[in-house]
Formats: sequence, structure tokens, C-alpha cells
Amino acid sequence: MTTLWDTTGSAVVKALSAERRAAGALAFGLALTLVVVVDEQHVSQAESAAMAASAAHPCRLLIVVRRQIDAPHPRLDAEVSIGGRLGPGEAVVMRMSGRLALHSESVVLPLLAPDAPVVTWWYDAPPEKIAHDPLGVFADRRVTGTYAAPDPLAALLQRAEDFVPGDTDLAWTRISGWRTLLAAAFDQVTEPAGPATVVSEPNNPSARLFAGWLQAKLRVPVTITDAPGRKGIQSVQVAVGDGEVTLARTDSRSAGITRTGYPTRVLPLPERGLGDLLAEELRRLDDDYVYAEALSAWSGVPHLNRRPRHRDHIWRDPALEQPAAAMAAITTTPAAAPPATPAAPVTPAAPVTPAAPAPNPTTPPAAS
Amino acid sequence: MASTASGNPLRDPRDRRLPRLPDNSALVVFGATGDLARKKLIPAVYDLANRGLLPPGFVLVGFARRDWSDEDFAAFAREAAERGARTPFREDTWERLASSVRFRSGSFSDDAAFDGLVKLLADLESSHGVPGNAAFYLSIPPPAFPVVLKQMQRTGLASNEAAGGWRRVVIEKPFGNDLETARQLNSLVDDVFTPDDVFRIDHYLGKETVQNLFALRFANMLFEPIWNSHFVDSVQITMAEDVGIGTRAGFYDETGAARDVLQNHLLQLLALTAMEEPVSLGAEAIRTEKLKVLRAVSLPEDFATYAVRGQYSQGWLAGERVRGYLEEADIPAASATETFVAVRLGVQTRRWAGVPFYLRTGKRLPRRVTEIAITFTKAPHLPFDATDTTELGNNQLVIRVQPDEGVTLRFGSKVPGSSMEVRDVAMDFLFGEAFTEALPEAYERLILDVLLGDATLFPNNAEVEESWRIIDPLEDFWQSTTPHAYRAGTWGPAAADDMLSRDGRRWRRP
Repeated sequence: MTTLWDTTGSAVVKALSAERRAAGALAFGLALTLVVVVDEQHVSQAESAAMAASAAHPCRLLIVVRRQIDAPHPRLDAEVSIGGRLGPGEAVVMRMSGRLALHSESVVLPLLAPDAPVVTWWYDAPPEKIAHDPLGVFADRRVTGTYAAPDPLAALLQRAEDFVPGDTDLAWTRISGWRTLLAAAFDQVTEPAGPATVVSEPNNPSARLFAGWLQAKLRVPVTITDAPGRKGIQSVQVAVGDGEVTLARTDSRSAGITRTGYPTRVLPLPERGLGDLLAEELRRLDDDYVYAEALSAWSGVPHLNRRPRHRDHIWRDPALEQPAAAMAAITTTPAAAPPATPAAPVTPAAPVTPAAPAPNPTTPPAAS
Repeated sequence: MASTASGNPLRDPRDRRLPRLPDNSALVVFGATGDLARKKLIPAVYDLANRGLLPPGFVLVGFARRDWSDEDFAAFAREAAERGARTPFREDTWERLASSVRFRSGSFSDDAAFDGLVKLLADLESSHGVPGNAAFYLSIPPPAFPVVLKQMQRTGLASNEAAGGWRRVVIEKPFGNDLETARQLNSLVDDVFTPDDVFRIDHYLGKETVQNLFALRFANMLFEPIWNSHFVDSVQITMAEDVGIGTRAGFYDETGAARDVLQNHLLQLLALTAMEEPVSLGAEAIRTEKLKVLRAVSLPEDFATYAVRGQYSQGWLAGERVRGYLEEADIPAASATETFVAVRLGVQTRRWAGVPFYLRTGKRLPRRVTEIAITFTKAPHLPFDATDTTELGNNQLVIRVQPDEGVTLRFGSKVPGSSMEVRDVAMDFLFGEAFTEALPEAYERLILDVLLGDATLFPNNAEVEESWRIIDPLEDFWQSTTPHAYRAGTWGPAAADDMLSRDGRRWRRP
């Protein structure tokens, strides 16, 4: 492990290749690069989740912590390790402060594994617009976690507004197990489906996506019922012919499937940790059409799958915005009216600053 | 709206997150207390349950002679799962599975026991929602096949119509002893079950690396253009085991390495390596192409040189002294059964004319390894001084089936320094590094495929019969010969090495 204090991007690149050489890892097959964006207070949780996921999918792990954007001097600290405390793969943890935090791509770009897909994951609340974050713009796959937002439903709606194919949300990943069991139950069903109900804790984004999915696939009205108490989704009920199919969680590891007229079967439905969820996201790197369908059906934002796949970086400088607005990366605007482009200057991005590793960047030009 | 043929609106081929689960069904294991069931089948079933790949209504039924209750069998299965499972043992997964474990005791000739089995399966409809679907796994010695199959015919166990669901049968090798007995077995099985419902397990085909052959060959631009006699010098397929015959003395002494391994595993690997591109990856299309290759396989003219048998004698292996084959328990002192076999085969097609396929397998070889090595021809002209390339061999592509599953590409590279010197280097791809989850066991995949009714990875009776057509003349020739002795812990008899050196080649050391 190499730790570099107040260093430069090129020094990090050198340290990584030295570590690779020392580990005899030059022939490692790197399938992808995982970029994790996380706030200082959650670094260790994000690290352990990323470590679990990278055990299943060997990848280069780049953890980016941006802090103290108003610090007078830009500064980069980095920790490079292979087969160290961050699991068997290659990992770089970078802490960027001052204006450098707004140009983190200048450090990250040269560290991406050559020609391998890039997945960017925001551990905390998702950015309001992914185009504002250059680390999301160059990624092939973007993973957000709306449940980490102060208002998860508004954040989910904003995901629909801001959607581009290749985006996905862990609230969707969370219900793969539920969907698998329900789809299996429907393998035996021949009658048409009727109205459906999803019961979950209030404000649960996964329940909304589940409802959206049922609505899109079954073309039936879906009701979401809030039931405080147990976390997450508690049950799903779909009317079928004269009876119904019910899938209800029995404990943290299993759920029961009941179809009117048949005995209840209990099947595994483990509550999964972040690492598991992230690993599922890394398994498939193609666009998730079905997620877009479900998101579209719930949010009412049409044609998500037809949007162009490309995002242009939109330069946004929190220092130039209203101090209050600058603090809230994801706003809790009422769901119906997603914030129009903020009054703050939105200059069409000067292309992402080239990878000039900014050791001591003389204060970056204010507008760029 | 994209939905599957089954009409389930929740299924969408683009929804890659949802695994396909089999219909509610029962897996009936005959010989449920045997070695295969204990070491492979039950652990695989547990692993499938743990991965959430079994249907909501799944029942495991054991059938064997022992006088056991459901609970006794559940306890036996639990121990097998705890020992053999690949995934961590979880109490709650087990409890769920244990509630669906049943046992019927009886001998295979016991009519009452089979009538009881019929009733048990019929009762599963109301207790577990299983609509008559059942797969019968015949984990029993081949001589018992006819009796069991007759019982199934008598009781209607094998009939899809009578059951109201699907009925499938899974059989393990050996699929007969020669072409004649294979035909008898095939007609017997196909008589009782419809041919589409018969699944013949060759567990090698369940391995990820073997399936990767399809991806390697047919998903890439790089390899297929050179996959022919213009560029390929020879192909070596090796399956080596370090173990001896273990407790299978009786069976092994009657069978030998050629029938035990060459007839099925090695010829299947050859077929997958040499086959043309199938029109689709469906079961029928793949079987068609495999069958074409097997039909085109030719034997060497000179059996004495190009079909070598060996038998291990005592020696040292991995630091321990091991007995010779003839000294193993229950082996006749004059046994002429082979524990090693190496043959040179040809494939008479435009693509492969003139390319030798060297196949070898053996027991008590230095290590356990299975691989397919494609050796390419040398460059027609080398613009180097002769001394520059003395250490340059043929380019080689090696598919490591097990262990260290992956692919190696060997090619020449300049040795750093002031002089031009070219030496072989290897570029390695390891499944474990580039990919995802731990590789599933072959039996997991195959049992799942049986329950799903996907026959892609199972050879059909035509392939089995065609393989015997290849082996039978060799066996006839070997009748009158004795195998060459080789010391345990070496790579086989000298005659096998001579066979290649006569062709100007040598065996790759795996």
C-alpha cells in the first residue's frame, strides 16, 4: 500500500503502476473500473460495499471523496493498494479538496482501466443532474441510490426527468428477488391479472418502481399502501381470475407465495446488503430497458428508453450559486415540479478539462 | 409488449435480472443413498436452492433399498449438503428444502414400492402444487436400468399424458459397453420415455469452460478464421487424473479408460472443438453439428502405433508411494484393462483434413488437469537469423477446462536486450479474475437444465452411438494386446511419446 499526501494525479498513476508491478499483477484481467463517489462521513461503508462487489467482479476501484470545496488551496491525498485492506483487486482512494474537487475527473481519467467499461456509483444522495458531475458523464453505467436522498420519492422522480439509458438505481436492484419470485408464480398462471397492491413502508422508492413495473407489464391499476413498521416492501398482491397471488415477506430471509386454492410456499428472499446489490449492478453492463419502463410507468415521464444515450457535461460552480442552493446537491422540490435549470450560470460546458493533472492548479479560471 | 412464449406477462427477454425458474416439479433420485447422490446431486440441489433457482414447489424424492423414513433421508441429505455444497450452509435454506424431502424404500423389483411412488407423486399436486412434473435421476448401476425402466412403464410413471405434466429421465454414463449394448439401452429408454425427455449426462458439458468454447469460437472474430487446417497444425485434448481407481475396482476393470473417458468426455470435447458453427445455439442445431463431426472422425490406419494403451505400475505420486493397478484391491492379477489411453484421430472434413487430433487420458498421472491445446503451424517464413528463433515454438491456444479455468495464448516475443532473440511467452485469461461469481458446479447447471427442459448440454442417442462406432474397432484391436506399463506419477508410457515423436511433435506438458 502506498499513501500519498498532498500529491498530484501523475504521482498516483505512477504509484498504481508500481504497485501493479510489485504485485505481479501486470497480467490481471480487468473487466471494468468502478468509480465510487462518497462523502467523507460514509467512506468506510462505501468501501466495504465496493469491496464486497469487487470480490465478485474483479475491477479497478476508484473511490473519490470530494470535500471542502471552499478550502483556499486545492489538495489531493491518495491511498493506492493492491490486495490490501480494500480486497484482492486494485483500489485507489482519493480525497480532493478545494477547487480540485470540482475537477476530480482530471485525476480519475488517467486512472481508468484501458478501454474497459466504467461504472460510477454515488453512495450518497444522487446528483440532481448527472450531467453536472463529470464522473457520471464519462461512465457507461451510472448507479444511484435514491433511498439515500432526504426525500427519496422526489429524488426518484428527478431520476426519471434526468434519465438517460445506462442509468440505474439501487432501489430497482433491491426488488430483483421479489420480481423473480412473482414472475415464477406467474409461470403457473393462465388467467388474466387484475388490480394489484404493493404494501411498503412510506416513501419507499423500491415500492414505486415495483408498482411501475407491474403497471407496465400487467397493464392493471396498482395501488401503493403505506404500512409503517417493517422496513422495505412487505407484500405484493395481484388479483388473478377469481383469486389472487400474494407474495409476502415472512422474515428477513424468506417470503411466502400464496395463490388462492394452493398451499403457501416459503422461498428464500434474503434482504441484501449494499455489496450484493452493487455486485448485481456490475453483472450486466448493458442498458436496463425494464428499469426505464418501470420508472416511466410510475413517474409518468414518457419514452425514457428513446432518449439519446449521451450526456454533455454541464459546468456548474457551487461557489457562484446562492449559498443556500449551493449546499443542497439534491433539492427536495415538490415532486410535481422538478426544478427547472437553476438560475445559476449554466454555460455550455467547456469540454471536460483535459487530464492536466492539477498539482497546484493556479485557481482554475472562474468560468470554466 | 415483449413476453415469452409461455405468455407470462412478467417475463421479458430484456429483463436480464430475472433468472428463469423451472416449473413446480419433483426430482426423483433412484439410488439416493449412493456415492453420486451424496457427493454431487444432493449438494447441487442444495446449492440451487441457496441461489434461489429452484421453483416455488420443488420436491426431492429419494428412492433406495434402505428402510428409511423421510426424516432419515433428510438427515442423510443434510449431511451430504453440509459436506459437499459449494455455497455456505444456511439453516433456513435447509429447513425449507427439508420440508420437501421425501423417501420411498424398496428394491427395484418391488411392485408395491413403485405403486407407492406413483401415489406419492400424485399427492404432490395438492401438497406442493406440483402438477405432475417429475425428473427421474437414475443414479444406479447399468444392469439395474432395464428393471427400473420396466417398472416405470408398468406404472405409467414415464408417461407425460398419464402424469398430466412432463416426465423426464436422466441417465449417467456408461451408455452401454459398445455399439450393440448402447443401441439396446437407447431403444429401451426411448421406448419408455419419449426421446426428447431423455437427458444423458456428460458432466463435462456442464462446465463453464466448455460452454465458453462456444463464446470463444462463435462470438469472436479473432479465432474462427484460423480454426482450420491452413493454420492449425494439431490438436491435443488431455484429461489427466492423479487419483487411481479408488473404490470402483469391479466397474473399472470391466470398463477401462477408453470406455470410461475417451468414449464420452474426450470425444465430446473433440466434437465441440471441431464442429462447424451451428445455425443457432438451440439444442437441435448444436447436436446436428456435433453429430456431423463425430461421423467424420476417422481412426488411424496403424492401430499398433497410434492407439496406445497403458496401465500404471507402482511409483511415487505427490510425495507418496502408490500401488500399481494390478496390486489394487479386487483387481485380477492378470488384468489387461488399461488405465491410460492415447489415440490419434482425424476429422475428415474440408476444415480439418490432415490435422491430427491427439486424445489422451489416464489415471495416476502427475496432476489432475483437463485441457484442449490447439497448436498452430509455424510461420512460413522467418526473417530472423536461425539462432534468433531457437526458443520459438508453435503458437498455441490452450483452453484450460480444469483447474485454473481459462484460456492461454502462447506466442513469440522479443527478449529485451541488444540482440534479437525471440522466445515464447504466454498471455493468460483466468475466469476467476475477469469474471464474477464463483463458477457453479457442473451438476448444478445440468440439474437446472433438466428441470427447465433445456437439452443443449446433453448428448443424444445418435451421438452416443456414433462415439461407440469410433471406439469399438479400437477395443476389438486391444482385445489381443496387453497395455504398456507406466510408472504412477509419470505422463504415461513411452509408447505414447513415441507416437507423437514419430509425427515430429511432442505432448504438451499441461
